[in-house]
Amino acid sequence: MVTPEQIKTWIAAGLLCEHLELAGDGQHFEAVIVSAEFRGKSMVQQHQLVYRALGERMKEQIHALSMKTYTPEEWAAR
Amino acid sequence: MSIQDTIRDQVSQHKVVLYMKGTPQFPQCGFSANAANILRACGVTDFFSVNVLADPEIRQGIKEFSNWPTIPQLYVNGQFIGGSDILTELYQKGELQKLLVA
Repeated sequence: MVTPEQIKTWIAAGLLCEHLELAGDGQHFEAVIVSAEFRGKSMVQQHQLVYRALGERMKEQIHALSMKTYTPEEWAAR
Repeated sequence: MSIQDTIRDQVSQHKVVLYMKGTPQFPQCGFSANAANILRACGVTDFFSVNVLADPEIRQGIKEFSNWPTIPQLYVNGQFIGGSDILTELYQKGELQKLLVA
């Protein structure tokens, strides 16, 4: 079974994150992701960057991943 | 006609298209149910929905078409808007409502 820690490691390996939170029960996961790479990108493009980092794992191992993405500026302003 | 052509036709011929698991009446996944409920909350009742569970080719094809690995997926005026998380966020900001009347 996939753990939140594993998903965290996979995302961090493919995307430079300033802050990364992962929670989940093995089926459904929730992530909060803060990355400078999100600057100037639409929400769709931001999520695509995360999906790209996860690659094939999105198809097989991860059933459901909810995410909230923030630029460092958006995160600081929360 | 290729599956990509079929999808291109669907999203260009209908203003609002939701690719989902199940139907709006009987969604078979919580995220798909959420997407359909948000559309209804925006006052959109007659959107074109595609049950990807009934068509494996569409299920795979839409992921490639949108470069997006998950279902549901919403298209408005031929443009990919996002999945369940993005719809929720746009709805909460009041932006989805504007997109749907445009």
